Amino acid sequence: MQRRAFLRSACLNSFAAAGALGALPFPVFASDVAGVRPDAVSVDQLPPLEGDLTLYLGRGEGGLYENVLDAIRKRNPKLNLQVRRGVTAALANTIVAESKAGVRRADVFWAVDSGAIGLVADAGLARPLPADVTEALRPGFQYPQWAPVTGRIRTIPYNTERVARAQIPDSVMALADSDFAIGWAPAYASFQSFVTAMRLLEGEKATADWLRGVNQRAKSYAGELGVVMGVERGEVDIGFANHYYTLRLKAGKPDANVDLAFTKNDAGCLVNASGILALSEGDLPINFIRYLLTREVQSYLAREAYEIPLVNGVQPPQGLPPLSEISPPKLDLTKLADLRPTLNLMRRTGVL
Amino acid sequence: MQAKSFIRKPRNLGMVLGLVALLGAGQVSANGEIGDHVNDLKSHLGQYSEEVNWLVGKFGAVVDTYEEKGQKGTNTNAMLEYWEEVDFHSAIETSYVPVYANIWQGIFGVKQAIDAGAPIAKVREEQKKLNQALWQALGAVKLASQYQEKGLLAKVQTTETEPTTVPETLDDIKHRLDRVVAKYAEKLPEAATSIVHDTYLHRFEGVEGVLIEQDADLVEDLEKDFNVTLPQAIDGKSSVDDVRKVVESMQAKLDRAKDLVAAAEKKRKDVF
Repeated sequence: MQRRAFLRSACLNSFAAAGALGALPFPVFASDVAGVRPDAVSVDQLPPLEGDLTLYLGRGEGGLYENVLDAIRKRNPKLNLQVRRGVTAALANTIVAESKAGVRRADVFWAVDSGAIGLVADAGLARPLPADVTEALRPGFQYPQWAPVTGRIRTIPYNTERVARAQIPDSVMALADSDFAIGWAPAYASFQSFVTAMRLLEGEKATADWLRGVNQRAKSYAGELGVVMGVERGEVDIGFANHYYTLRLKAGKPDANVDLAFTKNDAGCLVNASGILALSEGDLPINFIRYLLTREVQSYLAREAYEIPLVNGVQPPQGLPPLSEISPPKLDLTKLADLRPTLNLMRRTGVL
Repeated sequence: MQAKSFIRKPRNLGMVLGLVALLGAGQVSANGEIGDHVNDLKSHLGQYSEEVNWLVGKFGAVVDTYEEKGQKGTNTNAMLEYWEEVDFHSAIETSYVPVYANIWQGIFGVKQAIDAGAPIAKVREEQKKLNQALWQALGAVKLASQYQEKGLLAKVQTTETEPTTVPETLDDIKHRLDRVVAKYAEKLPEAATSIVHDTYLHRFEGVEGVLIEQDADLVEDLEKDFNVTLPQAIDGKSSVDDVRKVVESMQAKLDRAKDLVAAAEKKRKDVF
């Protein structure tokens, strides 16, 4: 009964939201249109999960996804949740390979990046999601066959002793012609997704020119936390990294000489997302997805993992500017699965 | 006899905990297939004891030959073949990697002393260290067999398993660092380097975000260790003892990290 009321309410709200959003730029963040869309539901409004469910889980942030799974298990003692963990891209390939072999072992796939989700969805293996699930997500993050769970923004961390925020251009493309000493992590998956987004948005030639330009003054790091730490130490002026590394560093070192800048409407402020899709039919996989989109889980991941909630009515992590001030580019995130041309480009320009 | 007295020493408490943690983490040999015997250590203790006695005899014979015939009359490469030949090799490799590294270090200690034409007294000194490492290893395997019999050790995995929590990941990193020393002692610096890179990218990088909230300086130290200090130490010029010192220092930092993360986890609010 409770469940039906929830669905009806979500459905009505979604019609209102669809009308209101028709004229808005894509994607739209935030609270700018809040009030016309349904807020995230509470776990108390969801039905209990019962039965056997196999989840393929791409490696998550520091075990916090495991805490979410443990909490779901504890709340649903009749759920027999089996989890296979691994590198996200490898699991996506496994799902596709299993399907080709006529086998389906996973009921749900939770991936840390949307590219891997795209790979599975493009293979025609994802089940359509009910409208109330997709409509609970922010505009720009609504997909018929998968649900983004949480987001992360590409940022420009800068050393506050060496650079003033006003010196950083609004365009990521302009950085190739700047005099900044730049830190980057070209072998890092998030960086490669960012270059993929640039390639899709700006084209191959512009991206190749950008890579060559930045490469002249870039210092390479193994990972993006290393980039942020290098910026903080003043080894470089600015860097390219996901937002949460800087927030976490500042949580551990409040006086750290680093802050975040954002470019506008280009790959430099891309919002990428972790995502989930259902591989098998029935209510259980869909209801499991609903649990991840609850107010409680979204708040937990925002608070503890500094990830950006993608459902309505949940506050972003502390330390991020209001989301209404950020203007990420319009891009179908599943297109980020097309990594091979990016790697070829990075090799051709001598970056990899 | 030596093995028994080894087990009674108080310092073995640390090793016991290490054995539990290491075997629990699951592992795969870098030296080829691990036989099923490693999951039934107790039934094979007699065989392992015989093999250790055989090795001590064979290594001793190499040194005796050197004493009698000199460097040109001695085939030191045979020492590597003897060690590779025995099942005890994988028994200790999957039970307690630090002693496994000591054995390689001991083998190369004798081999290099002979190859360099060192005085026999120096070679005997190295041989003594090697023998001690072998007996110590037999003691470690006996201890592991007791724990295995009581069901306190996880079955040795033949495929890699993923640690799921931060403390598990930190334990796994410590174990991998032991393998770095082992590979370096085995005169395989490239293999050691690739373990370091792989451990950084696929393990440490996944937990350092959580850790940096607790102690940014500690993460900075470990970043430097992974990316500068340890890779420089295993460039082929340092001694195994020097590499071990770097690794032990990193492992102490990882222990501190584990305590910090455990304390933070206790304060963390529930999901629901």
